[in-house]
Amino acid sequence: MTAVTAATTRAADAAEAQEIVFKKDTGAKVRMYLGLAVLVIWGLAPAYWMVVTAFRNVGYTFDTSPWPTHVTLDNFKTAFSTGRGNHFGAALVHSIIIGIVVTAVAMLVGMFAAYAMARMEFPGKYVVLGFILGASMFPGVALLTPLFKLFANLKWLAGANYQALVIPYISFALPLTIYTLTAFLAEMPWDLEESARIDGCTPAQAFRKIMLPLATPGLFTTAILVFLASWNEFMLASQFTTPQTQTVTVAIASFTGSQPHQEPYTAVMAAGAIVTVPLIIMVLIFQRWIVSGLTAGGVKG
Amino acid sequence: MTTTTTKAPDAKATAAASKALQRSGDWARRAPLLPALILVIVATQLPFVVTIVSSFMRWNAYYPDKRAFAGLANFGTVLSDPDARHAIWITVLLTVSVVLISLLLGLGIALLLDRKFMGQGIVRTMMITPFLIVPVAAALLWKHAIYNPEYGLLNGVLKGVFGNGAPQVDWIGSHPLMSVIVAIVWQWTPFMMLILLAGLQSRPMDVVEAARMDGASSWQIFTNMTLPHLRQYIELAGLLGTIYVVQNFDHVFTITSGGLGTANLPYYIYQTFYTAHDYGLASAAGVIVVILTMIVATVALRTVFSLFKEETR
Repeated sequence: MTAVTAATTRAADAAEAQEIVFKKDTGAKVRMYLGLAVLVIWGLAPAYWMVVTAFRNVGYTFDTSPWPTHVTLDNFKTAFSTGRGNHFGAALVHSIIIGIVVTAVAMLVGMFAAYAMARMEFPGKYVVLGFILGASMFPGVALLTPLFKLFANLKWLAGANYQALVIPYISFALPLTIYTLTAFLAEMPWDLEESARIDGCTPAQAFRKIMLPLATPGLFTTAILVFLASWNEFMLASQFTTPQTQTVTVAIASFTGSQPHQEPYTAVMAAGAIVTVPLIIMVLIFQRWIVSGLTAGGVKG
Repeated sequence: MTTTTTKAPDAKATAAASKALQRSGDWARRAPLLPALILVIVATQLPFVVTIVSSFMRWNAYYPDKRAFAGLANFGTVLSDPDARHAIWITVLLTVSVVLISLLLGLGIALLLDRKFMGQGIVRTMMITPFLIVPVAAALLWKHAIYNPEYGLLNGVLKGVFGNGAPQVDWIGSHPLMSVIVAIVWQWTPFMMLILLAGLQSRPMDVVEAARMDGASSWQIFTNMTLPHLRQYIELAGLLGTIYVVQNFDHVFTITSGGLGTANLPYYIYQTFYTAHDYGLASAAGVIVVILTMIVATVALRTVFSLFKEETR
């Protein structure tokens, strides 16, 4: 507030104003770091606690000391053991297969659509876009009944039929894929493509050699979001999977322990940590791309 | 793709391209959209049409012979069923509070992370963590490891701070809805933060600098420049958040199993579909969810922006 009044007689009080700003800076800095500390605790404490619990001996469940005590790997063994009808290991494989197929197809199909949206003019463009984006408003639950009937008729709800999950996941992911990819593509320096065309590239070559590398951050961001959505989905998976296609979310939710009515919660936390770690590693590796993709719209250069 | 390759330059080269050629060019340009369109239609739009149709049918899997047109009866049943009405109310309450709280928290975090400080990159990555934890696992984490009255973190911390006489709260039992809301807010805050941070970093900094030179306080800069600039980002984050939170199923299913008055519409549909096998009723409730998504999204955004306008006035 003082800074405002000081500014009216700017020339004379410049030095004083400087000092005030400086003092305000240190105060603001302390507050900023305090705020950061609170936020980091709020964001990380639950996740940290999951890891601590995952490593804690199941006999010391009632120990709520916030430090890692009674460290053991038993919970991870329990998580992977198939003795009690849990098939967590197999579920991991299923989820990875489904995630990769969904991501690959959604990205390929989404790329074509986004390229057309961002680069071409034709009548009815926005009707089509509205049609595709409108689909993202439909909650999965509203489609549960018809999809269940359809897949039951196709005999997809028995045996190892991954498509019962893959096809709905792709179509749920597409609106977001097309939306983000279109935004990224629209912001790219297309003059470069023009020059490449003048230099003798075909449009396909220009796209592959010039534009694709530039679009990498946007592509990675989108691909990771698609993979995340497929990896995390629970409701459809709980209805449409069989023991041969069960995904990790279903496996974790239906973990059974030694006693019938007691959830083996340390093993569940171990399983939770296992399914989260790949995502965190993935995000750490591609962090540079993701952050620049999310912040700068994928344009560098 | 090949037709585009050959025809696009032609159309450019010859200014007076024939109408027929242009029309085929239009179709060639539409072609890349087709796979996406077909997939979305087959797996989303058509099933939704089926949902709408079956919402007007009497259709219970236990009585397959009695399938018949029922008019608005299913909607009548849903809207007069106290459970369903409660579920609608809970859905609205849950969505509005989660979206508003996580938007506010996300904005605060984004504002802090937008400044320069040591370890900025690490803190930013750490703040994304909740978003990366599989929702079902996160819900189980909150249910067992945090809220549990005997071995949960919250009561453990209370004991650690206040000693053995500390109040030990049965979090889920006595505050079921609040417990669900906090768990969902925790998961969704990073998403809001990422979008708002992108918005903050796209601010024209030279204008902000100029305003500061002219003596605008940080608060004035925030309300008069930052917030209006962030408007479309807040809109986007709020809209996407609403669409996802209205459909929330994982947290409600896992933390309370829809008990203790926390059943929202998705859970109600799941129950109608899964235990009652009443497809007509489940479909009608599904249609209501879609309508509700649109209403809540609009109202939530309006509310946020009316608050906004008062601030900037």
